[in-house]
Amino acid sequence: MSSLNDVAGPQQRQFNPYTENGGTILAIAGTDFSVIAGDTRQSEGYNIQTRYAPKVFRLTDRAVLAVNGFAADGNMFVKKVKQRLEWYRHAHAKDMPLHAIARLIQTMLYARRFFPYYVYNILGGIEDDGSGAVYSFDPVGSYERETCRAAGAAQSLVQPFLDNQIYFKNQQPAPGTSFPAHLPLPIVLKLVIDSFTGATERHIEVGDGLEMYVVLAKGRDLSGLEGIVGLQELSTKSDGERIFVIRRELKKD
Amino acid sequence: MNTFVNQFSTSSALSVIRKAQALVDDDEEFSDAAWGSEAGFGNLAKGVPSFSVPAVHDPTAFLRLHTDDHADPNCRIKIQHGTTTLAFRFQGGVIVAVDSRATAGSYIASGTVKKVIEINPYLLGTMAGGAADCQYWETYLGIQCRLHELRNRERISVAAASKYLSNLVYSYKGMGLSMGTMICGWDKTGPAVFYVDSDGTRLKGDLFSVGSGSTFAYGVLDQGYRWDLTDEEAQELGRRSIYAAGHRDAFSGNTCNLYHVKEDGWRFLGNYDITKMHYEGPGDVPGSAKTGYGYDVRVEGRVSSAAPAVAS
Amino acid sequence: MECSFALTGKDYVIVAADTTAARSIVKMKGDEDKIKTLGPHLLMAYSGEPGDTVQFAEYVERNIRLYQIRNLYPLRPASAASWIRRSLADSLRSRSPYSVNLLLGGYDTAAQTPSLYWIDYLGTIATVPFACHGYGSYFALSLLDRYHNPEGSLEEGLETLKRCIDEVAKRLVVSPGKYKVKVVDKDGIREIEL
Repeated sequence: MSSLNDVAGPQQRQFNPYTENGGTILAIAGTDFSVIAGDTRQSEGYNIQTRYAPKVFRLTDRAVLAVNGFAADGNMFVKKVKQRLEWYRHAHAKDMPLHAIARLIQTMLYARRFFPYYVYNILGGIEDDGSGAVYSFDPVGSYERETCRAAGAAQSLVQPFLDNQIYFKNQQPAPGTSFPAHLPLPIVLKLVIDSFTGATERHIEVGDGLEMYVVLAKGRDLSGLEGIVGLQELSTKSDGERIFVIRRELKKD
Repeated sequence: MNTFVNQFSTSSALSVIRKAQALVDDDEEFSDAAWGSEAGFGNLAKGVPSFSVPAVHDPTAFLRLHTDDHADPNCRIKIQHGTTTLAFRFQGGVIVAVDSRATAGSYIASGTVKKVIEINPYLLGTMAGGAADCQYWETYLGIQCRLHELRNRERISVAAASKYLSNLVYSYKGMGLSMGTMICGWDKTGPAVFYVDSDGTRLKGDLFSVGSGSTFAYGVLDQGYRWDLTDEEAQELGRRSIYAAGHRDAFSGNTCNLYHVKEDGWRFLGNYDITKMHYEGPGDVPGSAKTGYGYDVRVEGRVSSAAPAVAS
Repeated sequence: MECSFALTGKDYVIVAADTTAARSIVKMKGDEDKIKTLGPHLLMAYSGEPGDTVQFAEYVERNIRLYQIRNLYPLRPASAASWIRRSLADSLRSRSPYSVNLLLGGYDTAAQTPSLYWIDYLGTIATVPFACHGYGSYFALSLLDRYHNPEGSLEEGLETLKRCIDEVAKRLVVSPGKYKVKVVDKDGIREIEL
């Protein structure tokens, strides 16, 4: 054995603990709701590993986290965030506020500044004041509150569409009218579905299934969700913020 | 430059980190403080930063391999680069102006980035280089500044605050932090601006610009700068300089955020769209010329030729 | 580091170039004229690969002179610019291309119009109101966006040029010391001491 090593001479190994698993996530904030969505395809290169690997996770009754990039890191990260939130619940007997979760995620990501989680996070939910909020993160924890954000493989396809439809970029209002600052829930849901069907058409790493999480502010009625096929409630209480998930099929080729 | 530094500092910088981790008495990733209300500042729960480091021979080389430093556009983890920030001292205080673009390669990742970090009501920090590095460490600086106030019953000076940050990032030298920041504020000595970067450089000065668009900002800023600028003139100069950088540097743009620091702390003056400034100017704000900054807009109708216009 | 600037004004073009000839880290000469007079109303500032610059500039100079001898009238600036650009473009596709960047300033006496062309070693050409080559452009372009006046008098034009030179002297780490400044207008070409 030792003689073999002598002959082989110096050896070099590369440590590469990262890969890219495709997919796209997206979140849009409304006045009193938030929609967080992601496709469910997981791939590596040109191979589809699974057609159902969730990228969007319920954290609390008012916070949902979407994770994109390297799936193993993403799952680990969500697990750790959930653990910290559980600890917070035990210590304080309440759920952590959304803005605090955002800061927690920053510090957790930055703790790995020299060995980063290769994940792009989008946090959506309801702020303490009842407004819908979206926070987006880079892999090492810089973050910003926004109204809408797409991340992942098809971000460059989806984000310009959202800029146009949500922020009304490069559009001129009809004379005597103005654009709304926030869109109603039914319109937002339509835009999310269109974003993903569009991305599925033009990006090979997007498709299979779509999961849309809807978070409603405390006391808000279900308007905008009535008559939606397959609506599933995930909230633990009915008198606080409420979370729903809507699943849709995407093309599988 | 980087490789030179790394050659000599890798092992020592690593030992710094390991030493810092050794100071956190238990080896567990989470201290007991993280459970309860003392949850603290994430991994700084015990007051000493502790970072996960990959178990490889050279962690710095590992990080460089997987994060981009302009060199490799194919690497996976993109850290934001490309910016224009400026700050200058004058008779009426300090003007801080920045753009709002974040790029990942040639993709504009965001056009609404807040590159001025409000450390406390008297201190501002600017963000160039790694967005997370600046956001995190300047927030951390804010905590330390508050502790200084509580311990000493007086506000920290801008010089001391900037030195704290400078010493901090210097202790991580060679580990791959990337920040170029200006710490601006008002203290007993009056208005102050300090440039601090991740090499460990710390400079006191009247006028600084940092980022890929800084040369273009300097071009306008230097020529218009005087100590006795009025408040309005100074604000206009800050805006105009960021516009110039947004116009000439592809990695800068979208909007300009403008701050003015006076004796009673900083004030946010506004967010100005760079395209709008090009065509219409910054709008109805003090000091503005009320016309577009764009060259073609500014010189419209003026020609160099003396030839009589040909009647068509 | 090499720097050249040019700008148009009311009926004139100012062309300026630094006067240093450097080799490696050594300044070999401090009074090199890097602006060629190509005709009675045509100026060309050149910079780039040492050796290529002078060779190419002289090649251009002689051909433009030949045109004037053959035809008894000089080539107009627009045509000269086209010919020079094409020469560079052909050169680029040859076995040993010239690496030369140019600023071509001329006054078209027939059209009574000053004109300025920015040309790089790849054969890219642009008609512009002001132009720079070298590291100076990173500081001067934004400045010229702000201060250049296409209707400015010669005094104003020189004032603006002075701003560029001062700015580069102030901010560029290895800034050139002296510049040669030439002006072309309806009366021809003359050198100006700043």
